[in-house]
Amino acid sequence: MSTLLNFENVTSYYGATRILKDFSFEMEQGQCLCVLGRNGVGKTTLMRTIMGLTDRSTGAIRINGAEISAKPPHVRATYGLGYVPQGRGILSDFTVRENILLGTFARADKASEIPDICLRIFPYLKENLDKRAGLLSGGQKQQLAIARALAVGPQILLLDEPTEGIQPNIVNEIGEILKMLNKELGISLILTEQHIKVARKLGDAFLMVDNGRVVARGPIAEMTDELVNRHMTI
Amino acid sequence: MDLGSLLNALILGVSIASIWLIAALGLTIIYGTAGVINMAHGEFIMLGAYSSYMLQFYLGLPYLLCLPASFVIVALVGLALERGLIRYLYNRPLDTLLATYGVSLVLMQGVRLIFGSDPKYLAVPEMFQSNVMLGSASISAFRIVVLGITAFLVFALWLLFYKTRFGVQVRAVMQNKEMAASFGINSGRIYMMTFALGAGLAGVAGALFGVLAIVLPTMGASYVVQAFLMVVVGGGSLAGSVVASGVTGEMQSVFAFFTNDTFARFIIFVLIVVFLRFRPQGLFAQAGARR
Ligand SMILES: Nc1ncnc2c1ncn2[C@@H]1O[C@H](COP(=O)(O)OP(=O)(O)OP(=O)(O)O)[C@@H](O)[C@H]1O
Ligand SMILES: [Mg+2]
Repeated sequence: MSTLLNFENVTSYYGATRILKDFSFEMEQGQCLCVLGRNGVGKTTLMRTIMGLTDRSTGAIRINGAEISAKPPHVRATYGLGYVPQGRGILSDFTVRENILLGTFARADKASEIPDICLRIFPYLKENLDKRAGLLSGGQKQQLAIARALAVGPQILLLDEPTEGIQPNIVNEIGEILKMLNKELGISLILTEQHIKVARKLGDAFLMVDNGRVVARGPIAEMTDELVNRHMTI
Repeated sequence: MDLGSLLNALILGVSIASIWLIAALGLTIIYGTAGVINMAHGEFIMLGAYSSYMLQFYLGLPYLLCLPASFVIVALVGLALERGLIRYLYNRPLDTLLATYGVSLVLMQGVRLIFGSDPKYLAVPEMFQSNVMLGSASISAFRIVVLGITAFLVFALWLLFYKTRFGVQVRAVMQNKEMAASFGINSGRIYMMTFALGAGLAGVAGALFGVLAIVLPTMGASYVVQAFLMVVVGGGSLAGSVVASGVTGEMQSVFAFFTNDTFARFIIFVLIVVFLRFRPQGLFAQAGARR
Protein backbone atom coordinates (compact mmCIF):
# COMPACT_ATOMS: atom_id res chain seq x y z
CA MET A 1 0.00 0.00 0.00
CA SER A 2 1.19 3.46 -0.80
CA THR A 3 0.51 6.85 0.67
CA LEU A 4 -2.28 8.59 -1.22
CA LEU A 5 -2.70 11.82 0.69
CA ASN A 6 -0.31 13.41 3.07
CA PHE A 7 -0.50 16.57 5.20
CA GLU A 8 2.71 17.87 6.68
CA ASN A 9 2.43 20.67 9.25
CA VAL A 10 -0.45 22.32 7.45
CA THR A 11 -1.83 25.50 8.94
CA SER A 12 -4.92 26.88 7.26
CA TYR A 13 -6.42 30.33 7.61
CA TYR A 14 -9.63 32.25 7.19
CA GLY A 15 -8.46 35.85 7.07
CA ALA A 16 -5.83 36.08 9.77
CA THR A 17 -7.40 33.36 11.93
CA ARG A 18 -5.67 30.00 12.08
CA ILE A 19 -8.32 27.29 11.86
CA LEU A 20 -6.20 24.18 11.24
CA LYS A 21 -3.03 24.28 13.24
CA ASP A 22 0.09 22.31 12.42
CA PHE A 23 -2.01 19.55 10.94
CA SER A 24 -0.23 16.34 9.94
CA PHE A 25 -1.57 12.96 8.85
CA GLU A 26 -1.39 10.53 6.00
CA MET A 27 -3.76 8.08 4.43
CA GLU A 28 -3.20 4.95 2.41
CA GLN A 29 -4.54 4.14 -1.03
CA GLY A 30 -7.95 2.47 -0.80
CA GLN A 31 -8.54 3.41 2.82
CA CYS A 32 -11.57 4.97 4.41
CA LEU A 33 -10.40 7.65 6.81
CA CYS A 34 -12.96 8.94 9.30
CA VAL A 35 -12.48 12.46 10.59
CA LEU A 36 -14.16 12.95 13.94
CA GLY A 37 -14.63 15.77 16.39
CA ARG A 38 -17.14 18.14 17.92
CA ASN A 39 -18.91 20.89 16.02
CA GLY A 40 -16.64 23.69 14.98
CA VAL A 41 -13.29 21.93 15.49
CA GLY A 42 -12.28 22.27 11.84
CA LYS A 43 -13.52 19.15 10.01
CA THR A 44 -15.06 21.12 7.16
CA THR A 45 -12.01 23.34 7.11
CA LEU A 46 -9.88 20.24 6.59
CA MET A 47 -11.94 19.32 3.51
CA ARG A 48 -11.77 22.87 2.21
CA THR A 49 -8.03 22.99 2.81
CA ILE A 50 -7.60 19.86 0.70
CA MET A 51 -9.65 21.51 -2.08
CA GLY A 52 -7.79 24.81 -1.70
CA LEU A 53 -10.86 26.78 -0.68
CA THR A 54 -9.56 28.40 2.48
CA ASP A 55 -8.02 31.85 2.26
CA ARG A 56 -4.46 30.62 2.72
CA SER A 57 -2.51 27.63 3.97
CA THR A 58 1.09 26.82 4.80
CA GLY A 59 2.83 23.46 4.97
CA ALA A 60 2.83 20.64 2.44
CA ILE A 61 -0.16 18.76 0.98
CA ARG A 62 0.72 15.85 -1.28
CA ILE A 63 -1.38 13.55 -3.43
CA ASN A 64 0.55 10.49 -4.58
CA GLY A 65 3.66 12.40 -3.71
CA ALA A 66 2.81 15.45 -5.84
CA GLU A 67 2.79 18.71 -3.90
CA ILE A 68 -0.50 20.49 -4.53
CA SER A 69 -0.60 23.20 -1.89
CA ALA A 70 0.34 25.94 -4.36
CA LYS A 71 -2.30 24.89 -6.89
CA PRO A 72 -5.69 26.58 -7.26
CA PRO A 73 -8.89 24.57 -6.54
CA HIS A 74 -9.76 23.90 -10.19
CA VAL A 75 -6.38 22.27 -10.73
CA ARG A 76 -6.50 20.27 -7.49
CA ALA A 77 -9.82 18.79 -8.57
CA THR A 78 -8.11 17.19 -11.55
CA TYR A 79 -5.92 15.12 -9.20
CA GLY A 80 -9.00 12.98 -8.70
CA LEU A 81 -10.70 14.73 -5.82
CA GLY A 82 -14.46 14.27 -5.69
CA TYR A 83 -15.84 16.75 -3.18
CA VAL A 84 -19.21 16.32 -1.44
CA PRO A 85 -19.43 19.43 0.72
CA GLN A 86 -21.40 19.88 3.89
CA GLY A 87 -24.72 21.42 2.84
CA ARG A 88 -24.25 19.61 -0.49
CA GLY A 89 -23.43 22.57 -2.71
CA ILE A 90 -26.02 21.65 -5.33
CA LEU A 91 -26.50 24.28 -8.05
CA SER A 92 -30.22 24.81 -7.78
CA ASP A 93 -30.72 26.49 -11.18
CA PHE A 94 -29.15 23.50 -12.90
CA THR A 95 -30.98 20.33 -13.79
CA VAL A 96 -29.96 17.06 -12.20
CA ARG A 97 -28.15 16.23 -15.42
CA GLU A 98 -26.21 19.51 -15.49
CA ASN A 99 -25.21 19.07 -11.86
CA ILE A 100 -23.74 15.66 -12.59
CA LEU A 101 -22.09 16.94 -15.76
CA LEU A 102 -20.39 19.58 -13.64
CA GLY A 103 -18.32 16.76 -12.16
CA THR A 104 -16.99 15.75 -15.57
CA PHE A 105 -15.02 18.99 -15.95
CA ALA A 106 -12.51 17.70 -13.44
CA ARG A 107 -12.01 14.36 -15.18
CA ALA A 108 -8.48 13.39 -16.06
CA ASP A 109 -9.67 11.75 -19.31
CA LYS A 110 -11.74 14.80 -20.36
CA ALA A 111 -14.75 12.56 -21.11
CA SER A 112 -17.95 14.59 -21.23
CA GLU A 113 -20.63 11.97 -20.61
CA ILE A 114 -22.19 11.03 -17.31
CA PRO A 115 -20.43 7.83 -16.19
CA ASP A 116 -22.73 4.80 -15.75
CA ILE A 117 -21.90 4.35 -12.12
CA CYS A 118 -23.51 7.70 -11.15
CA LEU A 119 -26.94 6.65 -12.31
CA ARG A 120 -26.65 2.95 -11.55
CA ILE A 121 -26.47 3.46 -7.82
CA PHE A 122 -29.03 6.27 -7.74
CA PRO A 123 -32.08 5.18 -9.77
CA TYR A 124 -34.04 8.22 -8.61
CA LEU A 125 -31.57 10.52 -10.36
CA LYS A 126 -31.70 8.44 -13.50
CA GLU A 127 -35.45 8.94 -13.72
CA ASN A 128 -35.29 12.67 -13.02
CA LEU A 129 -32.36 13.87 -15.07
CA ASP A 130 -34.20 16.91 -16.39
CA LYS A 131 -35.68 18.00 -13.09
CA ARG A 132 -34.42 21.24 -11.63
CA ALA A 133 -32.05 20.33 -8.82
CA GLY A 134 -33.49 23.03 -6.57
CA LEU A 135 -36.68 21.01 -6.37
CA LEU A 136 -35.06 17.87 -4.90
CA SER A 137 -35.43 16.88 -1.25
CA GLY A 138 -32.47 16.98 1.10
CA GLY A 139 -31.77 13.27 0.75
CA GLN A 140 -32.08 13.43 -3.03
CA LYS A 141 -29.68 16.36 -3.12
CA GLN A 142 -27.23 14.31 -1.12
CA GLN A 143 -27.47 11.51 -3.69
CA LEU A 144 -26.92 14.09 -6.40
CA ALA A 145 -23.89 15.51 -4.64
CA ILE A 146 -22.37 12.03 -4.40
CA ALA A 147 -23.22 11.26 -8.05
CA ARG A 148 -21.59 14.54 -9.12
CA ALA A 149 -18.43 13.72 -7.17
CA LEU A 150 -18.37 10.25 -8.75
CA ALA A 151 -18.58 11.85 -12.20
CA VAL A 152 -15.08 13.19 -11.54
CA GLY A 153 -13.81 9.61 -11.66
CA PRO A 154 -12.25 10.26 -8.27
CA GLN A 155 -9.34 8.62 -6.50
CA ILE A 156 -10.55 10.15 -3.27
CA LEU A 157 -14.08 11.08 -2.29
CA LEU A 158 -14.21 13.86 0.29
CA LEU A 159 -17.50 13.38 2.10
CA ASP A 160 -18.38 16.08 4.59
CA GLU A 161 -21.16 14.77 6.84
CA PRO A 162 -22.93 12.80 4.11
CA THR A 163 -25.58 11.56 6.53
CA GLU A 164 -26.35 14.94 8.12
CA GLY A 165 -30.06 15.69 8.15
CA ILE A 166 -30.99 12.36 6.62
CA GLN A 167 -33.58 10.04 8.13
CA PRO A 168 -32.12 7.04 10.00
CA ASN A 169 -33.13 4.28 7.56
CA ILE A 170 -31.54 6.17 4.67
CA VAL A 171 -28.38 6.70 6.70
CA ASN A 172 -27.76 2.95 6.47
CA GLU A 173 -28.45 2.99 2.76
CA ILE A 174 -25.89 5.72 2.18
CA GLY A 175 -23.50 3.80 4.43
CA GLU A 176 -23.92 0.73 2.21
CA ILE A 177 -23.31 2.75 -0.95
CA LEU A 178 -20.14 4.28 0.47
CA LYS A 179 -18.94 0.87 1.56
CA MET A 180 -19.51 -0.47 -1.95
CA LEU A 181 -17.62 2.47 -3.50
CA ASN A 182 -14.74 1.91 -1.12
CA LYS A 183 -14.51 -1.88 -1.01
CA GLU A 184 -15.64 -2.83 -4.52
CA LEU A 185 -14.51 0.11 -6.63
CA GLY A 186 -11.46 0.92 -4.55
CA ILE A 187 -12.21 4.61 -4.18
CA SER A 188 -10.52 6.03 -1.10
CA LEU A 189 -12.80 7.95 1.26
CA ILE A 190 -12.30 10.79 3.67
CA LEU A 191 -15.41 10.97 5.73
CA THR A 192 -16.57 13.27 8.48
CA GLU A 193 -19.30 11.66 10.50
CA GLN A 194 -21.33 12.39 13.60
CA HIS A 195 -22.68 8.82 13.63
CA ILE A 196 -19.97 6.83 15.40
CA LYS A 197 -21.65 3.62 14.27
CA VAL A 198 -21.30 4.50 10.61
CA ALA A 199 -17.70 5.49 11.21
CA ARG A 200 -16.90 2.19 12.90
CA LYS A 201 -18.59 0.23 10.15
CA LEU A 202 -16.87 1.97 7.22
CA GLY A 203 -13.63 3.27 8.59
CA ASP A 204 -10.18 1.73 8.31
CA ALA A 205 -8.53 4.57 10.13
CA PHE A 206 -9.60 7.58 12.15
CA LEU A 207 -8.46 11.10 12.78
CA MET A 208 -9.71 12.80 15.94
CA VAL A 209 -9.69 16.59 15.70
CA ASP A 210 -10.05 19.08 18.49
CA ASN A 211 -9.67 22.83 18.22
CA GLY A 212 -7.98 22.63 14.83
CA ARG A 213 -5.40 20.04 15.85
CA VAL A 214 -5.04 16.30 15.40
CA VAL A 215 -5.41 14.89 18.91
CA ALA A 216 -5.45 11.19 18.05
CA ARG A 217 -5.17 8.99 15.00
CA GLY A 218 -4.67 5.38 14.06
CA PRO A 219 -6.48 2.27 12.86
CA ILE A 220 -10.20 2.34 13.64
CA ALA A 221 -9.79 -0.51 16.15
CA GLU A 222 -7.81 1.87 18.34
CA MET A 223 -10.69 4.31 18.51
CA THR A 224 -11.76 3.51 22.06
CA ASP A 225 -14.96 4.64 23.72
CA GLU A 226 -12.83 6.55 26.16
CA LEU A 227 -11.30 8.52 23.27
CA VAL A 228 -14.69 9.18 21.74
CA ASN A 229 -16.09 10.33 25.06
CA ARG A 230 -13.20 12.62 25.76
CA HIS A 231 -13.25 14.40 22.41
CA MET A 232 -16.80 14.16 21.21
CA THR A 233 -19.12 14.64 24.15
CA ILE A 234 -19.96 18.22 24.79
CA MET B 1 -56.00 57.91 -34.89
CA ASP B 2 -56.51 54.73 -36.82
CA LEU B 3 -55.58 51.15 -36.17
CA GLY B 4 -53.29 51.01 -39.17
CA SER B 5 -50.91 53.65 -37.88
CA LEU B 6 -50.92 52.13 -34.40
CA LEU B 7 -49.87 48.89 -36.05
CA ASN B 8 -47.09 50.81 -37.78
CA ALA B 9 -45.99 52.11 -34.42
CA LEU B 10 -45.89 48.57 -33.07
CA ILE B 11 -43.78 47.37 -35.98
CA LEU B 12 -41.45 50.31 -35.55
CA GLY B 13 -41.30 49.40 -31.86
CA VAL B 14 -39.78 46.02 -32.68
CA SER B 15 -37.06 47.81 -34.61
CA ILE B 16 -36.38 50.21 -31.74
CA ALA B 17 -36.32 47.28 -29.36
CA SER B 18 -33.72 45.48 -31.45
CA ILE B 19 -31.45 48.52 -31.38
CA TRP B 20 -31.75 48.85 -27.61
CA LEU B 21 -31.19 45.15 -27.20
CA ILE B 22 -28.11 44.87 -29.35
CA ALA B 23 -26.61 47.80 -27.48
CA ALA B 24 -27.28 45.96 -24.21
CA LEU B 25 -26.20 42.42 -25.14
CA GLY B 26 -22.50 42.74 -24.40
CA LEU B 27 -23.14 44.62 -21.18
CA THR B 28 -25.64 41.98 -20.08
CA ILE B 29 -23.19 39.15 -20.57
CA ILE B 30 -20.31 40.82 -18.78
CA TYR B 31 -22.50 41.96 -15.90
CA GLY B 32 -24.46 38.72 -15.69
CA THR B 33 -21.37 36.52 -15.58
CA ALA B 34 -18.67 38.45 -13.83
CA GLY B 35 -20.74 41.08 -12.04
CA VAL B 36 -18.59 43.77 -13.64
CA ILE B 37 -20.33 47.00 -14.54
CA ASN B 38 -18.38 47.93 -17.61
CA MET B 39 -18.40 51.71 -17.90
CA ALA B 40 -16.36 51.41 -21.11
CA HIS B 41 -19.18 49.60 -22.89
CA GLY B 42 -20.16 52.70 -24.86
CA GLU B 43 -16.56 53.13 -25.99
CA PHE B 44 -16.44 49.48 -27.06
CA ILE B 45 -19.43 50.30 -29.25
CA MET B 46 -17.56 53.33 -30.57
CA LEU B 47 -14.48 51.19 -31.26
CA GLY B 48 -16.66 48.79 -33.23
CA ALA B 49 -17.83 51.65 -35.42
CA TYR B 50 -14.28 52.92 -35.97
CA SER B 51 -13.04 49.39 -36.67
CA SER B 52 -15.59 49.06 -39.43
CA TYR B 53 -14.73 52.53 -40.69
CA MET B 54 -11.02 51.69 -40.87
CA LEU B 55 -11.56 48.35 -42.54
CA GLN B 56 -13.86 49.92 -45.06
CA PHE B 57 -11.87 53.07 -45.71
CA TYR B 58 -8.34 51.68 -45.77
CA LEU B 59 -8.86 48.07 -46.82
CA GLY B 60 -12.07 48.35 -48.78
CA LEU B 61 -13.63 45.48 -46.88
CA PRO B 62 -17.31 44.94 -47.82
CA TYR B 63 -19.67 46.12 -45.07
CA LEU B 64 -21.05 42.68 -44.23
CA LEU B 65 -17.53 41.43 -43.53
CA CYS B 66 -16.86 44.45 -41.34
CA LEU B 67 -19.41 43.13 -38.83
CA PRO B 68 -17.57 39.93 -37.84
CA ALA B 69 -14.23 41.72 -38.18
CA SER B 70 -15.36 44.41 -35.74
CA PHE B 71 -16.46 41.65 -33.38
CA VAL B 72 -12.99 40.15 -33.46
CA ILE B 73 -11.13 43.45 -33.10
CA VAL B 74 -13.15 44.73 -30.17
CA ALA B 75 -13.15 41.28 -28.54
CA LEU B 76 -9.34 41.41 -28.64
CA VAL B 77 -9.38 44.87 -27.09
CA GLY B 78 -11.69 43.49 -24.38
CA LEU B 79 -9.41 40.52 -23.86
CA ALA B 80 -6.39 42.76 -23.43
CA LEU B 81 -8.27 44.99 -21.01
CA GLU B 82 -9.45 42.01 -18.94
CA ARG B 83 -6.00 40.43 -18.74
CA GLY B 84 -4.22 43.70 -18.12
CA LEU B 85 -6.58 45.33 -15.64
CA ILE B 86 -10.03 43.96 -14.84
CA ARG B 87 -8.89 40.56 -13.63
CA TYR B 88 -7.11 42.13 -10.70
CA LEU B 89 -10.29 43.87 -9.59
CA TYR B 90 -13.01 41.19 -9.62
CA ASN B 91 -13.52 41.29 -5.89
CA ARG B 92 -13.70 45.07 -5.80
CA PRO B 93 -16.83 46.28 -7.66
CA LEU B 94 -16.24 49.96 -6.97
CA ASP B 95 -12.73 49.77 -8.35
CA THR B 96 -13.88 48.06 -11.55
CA LEU B 97 -16.38 50.84 -11.99
CA LEU B 98 -13.71 53.52 -11.69
CA ALA B 99 -11.18 51.58 -13.73
CA THR B 100 -13.52 50.95 -16.63
CA TYR B 101 -14.62 54.59 -16.49
CA GLY B 102 -10.98 55.60 -16.78
CA VAL B 103 -10.53 53.23 -19.69
CA SER B 104 -13.56 54.73 -21.41
CA LEU B 105 -11.97 58.20 -21.24
CA VAL B 106 -8.67 56.90 -22.56
CA LEU B 107 -10.36 55.14 -25.46
CA MET B 108 -12.43 58.18 -26.34
CA GLN B 109 -9.45 60.57 -26.26
CA GLY B 110 -7.23 58.08 -28.04
CA VAL B 111 -9.65 57.74 -30.92
CA ARG B 112 -10.06 61.51 -31.04
CA LEU B 113 -6.29 61.92 -31.29
CA ILE B 114 -6.03 59.45 -34.12
CA PHE B 115 -9.14 60.21 -36.14
CA GLY B 116 -10.06 63.73 -35.05
CA SER B 117 -13.47 64.93 -33.91
CA ASP B 118 -15.09 65.17 -37.31
CA PRO B 119 -17.77 62.62 -38.12
CA LYS B 120 -17.03 59.55 -40.21
CA TYR B 121 -19.54 57.61 -42.25
CA LEU B 122 -20.00 53.94 -42.99
CA ALA B 123 -21.16 52.93 -46.42
CA VAL B 124 -23.63 50.10 -46.77
CA PRO B 125 -24.64 48.11 -49.83
CA GLU B 126 -27.23 49.73 -52.07
CA MET B 127 -29.92 47.23 -51.15
CA PHE B 128 -29.86 48.29 -47.49
CA GLN B 129 -30.48 51.93 -48.31
CA SER B 130 -34.01 51.53 -49.57
CA ASN B 131 -37.21 51.38 -47.57
CA VAL B 132 -39.35 48.28 -47.36
CA MET B 133 -43.01 47.89 -46.52
CA LEU B 134 -43.84 45.79 -43.50
CA GLY B 135 -47.62 45.56 -43.50
CA SER B 136 -48.48 49.17 -44.07
CA ALA B 137 -45.41 50.50 -42.30
CA SER B 138 -42.48 51.77 -44.28
CA ILE B 139 -39.21 50.96 -42.58
CA SER B 140 -35.64 51.31 -43.76
CA ALA B 141 -34.13 48.06 -44.99
CA PHE B 142 -31.14 48.57 -42.75
CA ARG B 143 -33.32 48.47 -39.65
CA ILE B 144 -34.46 45.04 -40.80
CA VAL B 145 -30.80 44.05 -41.03
CA VAL B 146 -30.27 45.23 -37.46
CA LEU B 147 -33.31 43.29 -36.34
CA GLY B 148 -32.13 40.16 -38.13
CA ILE B 149 -28.61 40.37 -36.70
CA THR B 150 -29.94 40.98 -33.20
CA ALA B 151 -32.22 37.96 -33.47
CA PHE B 152 -29.33 35.88 -34.78
CA LEU B 153 -27.04 36.96 -31.95
CA VAL B 154 -29.62 36.28 -29.26
CA PHE B 155 -30.20 32.81 -30.69
CA ALA B 156 -26.46 32.15 -30.94
CA LEU B 157 -25.94 33.28 -27.36
CA TRP B 158 -28.78 31.09 -26.18
CA LEU B 159 -27.18 28.12 -27.92
CA LEU B 160 -23.81 28.99 -26.46
CA PHE B 161 -25.11 29.32 -22.90
CA TYR B 162 -27.62 26.50 -22.82
CA LYS B 163 -26.38 23.92 -25.30
CA THR B 164 -22.60 23.81 -24.99
CA ARG B 165 -20.12 22.72 -22.37
CA PHE B 166 -18.77 26.24 -22.32
CA GLY B 167 -22.27 27.40 -21.38
CA VAL B 168 -22.48 24.92 -18.51
CA GLN B 169 -19.18 26.28 -17.21
CA VAL B 170 -20.33 29.89 -17.45
CA ARG B 171 -23.61 29.20 -15.69
CA ALA B 172 -21.87 27.13 -13.03
CA VAL B 173 -19.48 29.98 -12.26
CA MET B 174 -22.42 32.40 -12.13
CA GLN B 175 -24.27 30.27 -9.60
CA ASN B 176 -21.49 29.14 -7.35
CA LYS B 177 -17.91 29.98 -8.09
CA GLU B 178 -16.53 27.78 -5.33
CA MET B 179 -18.38 24.66 -6.43
CA ALA B 180 -17.45 25.34 -10.05
CA ALA B 181 -13.80 25.54 -9.04
CA SER B 182 -14.10 22.39 -6.94
CA PHE B 183 -15.11 20.58 -10.11
CA GLY B 184 -12.29 21.78 -12.29
CA ILE B 185 -13.71 24.95 -13.79
CA ASN B 186 -11.24 27.80 -14.08
CA SER B 187 -13.39 30.81 -13.30
CA GLY B 188 -10.64 33.24 -14.29
CA ARG B 189 -10.64 31.80 -17.78
CA ILE B 190 -14.44 31.93 -17.95
CA TYR B 191 -14.46 35.60 -16.91
CA MET B 192 -11.80 36.36 -19.49
CA MET B 193 -13.75 34.73 -22.29
CA THR B 194 -17.09 36.28 -21.37
CA PHE B 195 -15.48 39.70 -21.12
CA ALA B 196 -14.03 39.29 -24.60
CA LEU B 197 -17.36 38.00 -25.89
CA GLY B 198 -19.23 40.95 -24.37
CA ALA B 199 -16.74 43.39 -25.88
CA GLY B 200 -17.07 41.70 -29.26
CA LEU B 201 -20.85 42.05 -29.12
CA ALA B 202 -20.43 45.77 -28.43
CA GLY B 203 -18.19 45.85 -31.48
CA VAL B 204 -20.95 44.43 -33.69
CA ALA B 205 -23.41 46.93 -32.23
CA GLY B 206 -20.98 49.72 -33.09
CA ALA B 207 -20.62 48.53 -36.67
CA LEU B 208 -24.42 48.72 -36.99
CA PHE B 209 -24.86 52.02 -35.14
CA GLY B 210 -22.21 53.61 -37.34
CA VAL B 211 -24.67 53.19 -40.18
CA LEU B 212 -27.80 54.25 -38.30
CA ALA B 213 -26.04 57.41 -37.15
CA ILE B 214 -22.64 58.98 -37.68
CA VAL B 215 -19.32 57.74 -36.34
CA LEU B 216 -17.88 60.00 -33.65
CA PRO B 217 -15.51 59.49 -30.71
CA THR B 218 -18.37 60.39 -28.36
CA MET B 219 -21.04 58.24 -30.00
CA GLY B 220 -20.89 55.58 -27.26
CA ALA B 221 -22.48 57.83 -24.68
CA SER B 222 -25.76 58.01 -26.55
CA TYR B 223 -26.26 54.25 -26.48
CA VAL B 224 -24.81 53.31 -23.17
CA VAL B 225 -27.52 54.83 -21.00
CA GLN B 226 -30.19 52.78 -22.72
CA ALA B 227 -28.01 49.73 -22.55
CA PHE B 228 -27.56 50.12 -18.80
CA LEU B 229 -31.28 50.60 -18.34
CA MET B 230 -32.03 47.39 -20.22
CA VAL B 231 -29.57 45.45 -18.09
CA VAL B 232 -30.88 46.89 -14.83
CA VAL B 233 -34.54 46.42 -15.73
CA GLY B 234 -33.86 42.92 -17.06
CA GLY B 235 -31.93 41.89 -13.98
CA GLY B 236 -28.71 40.98 -15.79
CA SER B 237 -29.93 37.89 -17.60
CA LEU B 238 -30.13 37.40 -21.33
CA ALA B 239 -33.88 36.74 -21.20
CA GLY B 240 -34.31 39.79 -18.98
CA SER B 241 -32.61 42.08 -21.45
CA VAL B 242 -34.65 40.64 -24.33
CA VAL B 243 -37.94 41.25 -22.53
CA ALA B 244 -36.90 44.65 -21.17
CA SER B 245 -35.85 45.84 -24.63
CA GLY B 246 -38.99 44.46 -26.23
CA VAL B 247 -41.32 46.16 -23.79
CA THR B 248 -39.54 49.51 -23.64
CA GLY B 249 -39.01 49.59 -27.40
CA GLU B 250 -42.72 49.11 -27.97
CA MET B 251 -43.64 51.64 -25.31
CA GLN B 252 -41.23 54.17 -26.80
CA SER B 253 -42.79 53.70 -30.20
CA VAL B 254 -46.39 53.79 -29.03
CA PHE B 255 -45.92 56.77 -26.72
CA ALA B 256 -44.08 58.60 -29.48
CA PHE B 257 -47.02 57.87 -31.75
CA PHE B 258 -49.34 59.70 -29.35
CA THR B 259 -46.92 62.45 -28.33
CA ASN B 260 -43.35 62.84 -29.57
CA ASP B 261 -39.99 61.08 -29.26
CA THR B 262 -38.58 63.20 -26.46
CA PHE B 263 -41.69 63.04 -24.34
CA ALA B 264 -41.99 59.29 -24.93
CA ARG B 265 -38.43 58.85 -23.70
CA PHE B 266 -39.20 60.95 -20.64
CA ILE B 267 -42.22 58.80 -19.77
CA ILE B 268 -40.19 55.62 -20.19
CA PHE B 269 -37.42 56.81 -17.90
CA VAL B 270 -40.00 57.74 -15.27
CA LEU B 271 -41.68 54.34 -15.61
CA ILE B 272 -38.33 52.59 -15.27
CA VAL B 273 -37.55 54.50 -12.09
CA VAL B 274 -40.95 53.56 -10.67
CA PHE B 275 -40.47 49.94 -11.74
CA LEU B 276 -37.07 49.75 -10.08
CA ARG B 277 -38.49 51.29 -6.92
CA PHE B 278 -40.72 48.25 -6.56
CA ARG B 279 -38.50 45.63 -8.13
CA PRO B 280 -34.89 46.68 -7.69
CA GLN B 281 -33.61 43.23 -8.63
CA GLY B 282 -35.06 43.61 -12.14
CA LEU B 283 -37.39 41.37 -14.13
CA PHE B 284 -35.51 38.10 -13.89
CA ALA B 285 -33.29 38.29 -10.88
CA GLN B 286 -30.39 35.90 -11.05
CA ALA B 287 -30.40 33.28 -8.38
CA GLY B 288 -27.24 32.03 -6.82
CA ALA B 289 -24.35 33.58 -5.03
CA ARG B 290 -21.94 35.42 -7.23
CA ARG B 291 -18.78 35.43 -5.17
N1 LIG C 1 -15.55 31.14 6.07
C1 LIG C 1 -15.10 31.22 7.33
N2 LIG C 1 -14.54 32.37 7.79
C2 LIG C 1 -14.08 32.47 9.05
N3 LIG C 1 -14.13 31.48 9.95
C3 LIG C 1 -14.68 30.32 9.57
C4 LIG C 1 -15.19 30.13 8.25
N4 LIG C 1 -15.68 28.87 8.16
C5 LIG C 1 -15.47 28.31 9.37
N5 LIG C 1 -14.88 29.18 10.22
C6 LIG C 1 -14.49 28.88 11.62
O1 LIG C 1 -13.63 27.78 11.59
C7 LIG C 1 -13.88 26.92 12.68
C8 LIG C 1 -14.03 25.51 12.16
O2 LIG C 1 -15.17 25.43 11.33
P1 LIG C 1 -15.56 24.13 10.53
O3 LIG C 1 -16.71 24.49 9.65
O4 LIG C 1 -14.35 23.60 9.87
O5 LIG C 1 -16.03 23.17 11.70
P2 LIG C 1 -16.63 21.70 11.60
O6 LIG C 1 -15.73 20.85 12.41
O7 LIG C 1 -16.85 21.32 10.20
O8 LIG C 1 -18.01 21.88 12.36
P3 LIG C 1 -19.41 21.14 12.12
O9 LIG C 1 -19.33 19.84 12.82
O10 LIG C 1 -20.39 22.05 12.77
O11 LIG C 1 -19.61 21.02 10.65
C9 LIG C 1 -15.11 27.44 13.37
O12 LIG C 1 -14.69 28.06 14.58
C10 LIG C 1 -15.68 28.45 12.44
O13 LIG C 1 -16.21 29.53 13.16
MG1 LIG D 1 -18.45 20.86 9.14
